[in-house]
Amino acid sequence: MATVPAVGVAIPEALPASVTRRSALWTFVRRNPLGAAGGLLMLLLVVAAVFADALATHNPIRTSSHVLVAPGAEFWLGTDNLGRDVYSRVVHGSRISLLVGVASTLLGAVVGGVVGLLSGYFRGRTDLIAQRVMDVMQALPILVLALVMAAALGPSLTNTIIAISVVIVPRAARVVRASVLSIREHTYVESARALGVGHARVAFRHVLPNTFGPFIVLVTAQLGGAILVEAALSFLGLGVPEPYPSWGRMLSIAAAEYAQKAPWLVIYPGLAISLAVFGTNLLGDALRDSLDPRLRGS
Amino acid sequence: MSRPLLALPLVLVLLLTTPLPAQTPKHGGVLVTSPLSATSSLSPHEESTVSTVQQASPCFNNLLYFDPARKQESADTLIPELAEKWAWQDGNRTLVFNLRHDVKWHDGKPFTAQDVKYTFDVVRGASDARARLRVNPRKLWYDNVQAIDTPDAYTVAFRLKHPQPSLLLMLASGYSPVYPAHVPLAEFKNHCIGTGPFKLKEFKPGELVEYVRNPDYFVKGRPYLDGIKFVVIRDRSTQIAALQSGQLDVAGSGWNKTNAENAKAGAPKLTVVEADSNVNDNVLVNFKKAPFTDARVRRAINLALDRKAYLVGPRQGGATFGGAMLPKPAGVWGLPLAEVSQLPGMGDPVKQKAEARKLLAEAGFGPSAPLKIVVSTRALAIYVDTASWMVDQLQQVGIEGTLEQIETGVWHPKMTRLEYQVALNLTGVGIDDPDANYFENYRCGSQRNFSAYCSEDINRLMDEQSQTMDHAKRLAIVNEIDRKLQADGARPILGWGKQYEAYWPRVKGWAVHENSIYNVSRRQDVWLDK
Amino acid sequence: MRTYVLKRLVIAGVTLLGMSLLLFVLMRLAPGNITDILFESAGYVDEADRHRLEAELGIDRPVIVQYATWLGDLARGNLGKSYRYELPAWEVIRPRLPVTFELAVLSMLFAVLLGVPAGVVSAVQRGHLLDYVLRVLSLAGLSMPAFWLGMLVILTLVRALGWIPSMTYVSPFEDLRANLGQFLLPALAVGYRSSALIMRITRSTMLEVLREDYIRTAWAKGQHARGVVWRHALKNASLPVVTLIGIEFAFLIGGLVVTETVFNLPGVARYLVDAIQFRDYPIVQNLAMLIAVVVVLANLAVDLLYGWLDPRIWYRSA
Repeated sequence: MATVPAVGVAIPEALPASVTRRSALWTFVRRNPLGAAGGLLMLLLVVAAVFADALATHNPIRTSSHVLVAPGAEFWLGTDNLGRDVYSRVVHGSRISLLVGVASTLLGAVVGGVVGLLSGYFRGRTDLIAQRVMDVMQALPILVLALVMAAALGPSLTNTIIAISVVIVPRAARVVRASVLSIREHTYVESARALGVGHARVAFRHVLPNTFGPFIVLVTAQLGGAILVEAALSFLGLGVPEPYPSWGRMLSIAAAEYAQKAPWLVIYPGLAISLAVFGTNLLGDALRDSLDPRLRGS
Repeated sequence: MSRPLLALPLVLVLLLTTPLPAQTPKHGGVLVTSPLSATSSLSPHEESTVSTVQQASPCFNNLLYFDPARKQESADTLIPELAEKWAWQDGNRTLVFNLRHDVKWHDGKPFTAQDVKYTFDVVRGASDARARLRVNPRKLWYDNVQAIDTPDAYTVAFRLKHPQPSLLLMLASGYSPVYPAHVPLAEFKNHCIGTGPFKLKEFKPGELVEYVRNPDYFVKGRPYLDGIKFVVIRDRSTQIAALQSGQLDVAGSGWNKTNAENAKAGAPKLTVVEADSNVNDNVLVNFKKAPFTDARVRRAINLALDRKAYLVGPRQGGATFGGAMLPKPAGVWGLPLAEVSQLPGMGDPVKQKAEARKLLAEAGFGPSAPLKIVVSTRALAIYVDTASWMVDQLQQVGIEGTLEQIETGVWHPKMTRLEYQVALNLTGVGIDDPDANYFENYRCGSQRNFSAYCSEDINRLMDEQSQTMDHAKRLAIVNEIDRKLQADGARPILGWGKQYEAYWPRVKGWAVHENSIYNVSRRQDVWLDK
Repeated sequence: MRTYVLKRLVIAGVTLLGMSLLLFVLMRLAPGNITDILFESAGYVDEADRHRLEAELGIDRPVIVQYATWLGDLARGNLGKSYRYELPAWEVIRPRLPVTFELAVLSMLFAVLLGVPAGVVSAVQRGHLLDYVLRVLSLAGLSMPAFWLGMLVILTLVRALGWIPSMTYVSPFEDLRANLGQFLLPALAVGYRSSALIMRITRSTMLEVLREDYIRTAWAKGQHARGVVWRHALKNASLPVVTLIGIEFAFLIGGLVVTETVFNLPGVARYLVDAIQFRDYPIVQNLAMLIAVVVVLANLAVDLLYGWLDPRIWYRSA
């Protein structure tokens, strides 16, 4: 998870070298209250996911005769049509959202990053072919491509992750390629090559580290998108299957059947998705602002 | 936003056995309703979903039909349609129909005995049939028909291999309309030429089916409506909202009890009808796959599923319990109710779960070596809910189940090929009739016998009841078969879901049958009091 | 300039060809085919009948032949027949196009109307309360699933007013008021989301422009000069905004899939989901290709427009 201090340190050029970790965090919070709020939301999501078993008050898949009970002391956010505790399901649902979000973003970003690195570094034919493949992958709207992928692969946790990551690959490739292209022209890269350092070493030792900034921004920005796509796929019945409590799936069943009698079935899972994505977006925006050189210094 | 809703009691208006105080029906108006789902075609002979029956029936007629006004369908409620009268001859081996002379197809051509012969030769897959159905789901129904003769233009005789009282009921089903011999079968994918009360105006695939009144309909003064519009609304909460806001006159196909309660709570003036239906939730346990070849394991699964919890959970109180045939009083052939309460899963859940654990232990499964299974189900909400409930019930006896959702398109192929361990399935039977139900779902080698249960004894009894003309005698055999099926756990029945229809008071004559959802969709007697 | 346009066109063509291959392979990977579906409605599968059907539909031929046939037909403008409905695919798709088109255009309109002014105000007010409020509001839009927003809207409407938009499609030429009543809410739900991106890019471009020295000077000169500044700043900001609109238009179609479902609008996006579930290859392939063509053309248009607005691009890339 992209926690705030780690990010601040990963991009040395973003901060004066003398600034310590703690004060870096403080500066970030002072300069970006919204970003800090986002970080807090993300932290909450991580805590919910990691400690779901402890936080949940009920077994999230245990059915009972307490069907469609309104929120109260026993069931904090009410129960669903099978008598399952909505609060516990929302808490456990954070695992799926976080897992699918992070896994698909990382998978997509790493694959795309490597493609971008190679195609930007070697240029020429490699670049041409890679770029055309990326064009194809971007020629369909995210959800449409994910939909076709999910249908082709069948609904499962792994397949959902793969389907969503495919969507992220070209974006990551574009971002990394662009920064590689600009870094490649720097003299230190040329001198490294002139000293006889191998391609792989130059690419991974000298060029790669310098693409981290834009890369981190991209990952944060895509994370929210990935969570939303997972929700939409599950809503359409093509995402992560039961009995995993997934927020999108909780909405789809609620939507089809019980929305009017039990609005809590619609409100809370939707709120959970929105807050999680809101968190990543706030954080992503703040990171972009503080890392984008064009916006800095005013 | 957790404000508790005012719990408006659902007033269920039960179907009246006696007709309402005479109110003169009015002509005119277009009725708007929402079918279960979109239909792929308007050809009932090629489909097995109530969606098609709902949306195609207004276009067609049968030889005979079930009286819409009588809520229980049986041999006693048959009424004439294209046939004026019928009779068994030749020691109950020939069924003769005398047809009406005044019937025209929607394209103006006259209806004759040739159309009837053509239709049922096609459906039974006769070697000399003039056309062939690409998919023929009910070929089995007409297995017993040897030949169809047309002594003259208005007489049809079905010659049978042996007597079969059920044939009349099969011919009366919504799945058995008469097709015109002069229209190619492929036309019915998106057009409709029938003799029925309504003519097709527009078919927008996946969206809309619209009919207008057939002015030349052979029943004088019918239909009352100027037209019917079937609007496909996929999302059920949107369906409810559309009914409440008055955009729909009638809705409810596929609804459960909570849906109906929701609709009524938001619009108290709605009339909500609750009735039994001949669709059951059943568990398929693959007889061909270890460890389910072990009768103890099968019985343990059956016992672990607490039927009363099923009623409260997945069905929210909207179901009845029974065996393989729809239970009484709604059903004609059900087991005596005293026996139903003794079926596996109906007893004390604690004791039954303990017994299930014991059986599993005997079969070699326990806490150290738990039985791990995959529960397959169709990726539709109504299936998934019940299957999720099942996984939890099984977990309570130490069976570790994971749920596999199979997309609609792949579901039946997988079941037919027995590519599953345990599955949750819904089975609707076109008519409340032992021939239609048993031969399809329980006979050795039948394509819809998804659990691969097979017993020669049962096969013999099936043949015997099929040829028994006397109702009481036949009922005894039918019950005997049911008893054995339940004891063997051939296809454990969780229960029979109830059906719901909700409509505005302006809708009159919207018939609902309590032992079938498939045979009431002609709608020629429906009228609007506007 | 000719070279530039030519090069863009070739790239677009290659992209679409690649897309066709990708779609074809994916649909063949999917378990089950249309014969399963046809039997699905029958509730069982008969292997003999099934082979007959496969032969009839030509899906028993080698995959390469099927692919070549499809491309050949596509080149001749023949979209084939829907397996499920046995109607020409075009006949099934055509009536759905105006629905999705209207929804997309209205959504885009909302997105621009909400996004551009919000972005400008937010840039001018950078660091002030209004900036934060606008940014939070817009990010909230980006964070809510459009289908959830739609569900809440319908739920609220039916509770509060007992009214919901028409569930049967009304053509704008038939009854414009009813049509708008039907489209405004879903368009707003989708447009709100897209407006966040537009606001974001407007804001950052505006910030850049506002930092330019001559703008600062002009701004300082007072009220009269500020009109000039606005015009100038907006003109400069329009370039990236136009780009984004082009790209966003394409992505919007993805968001429509779920929105059309919730509002029961018979558009192409929702229909794609149906067709995928029914393995209706001609519909899925051609519909997805159609969407890809729209996306690629939108990108091409943006590229060309960009080149027209900033001619340096032509020379650099030629």
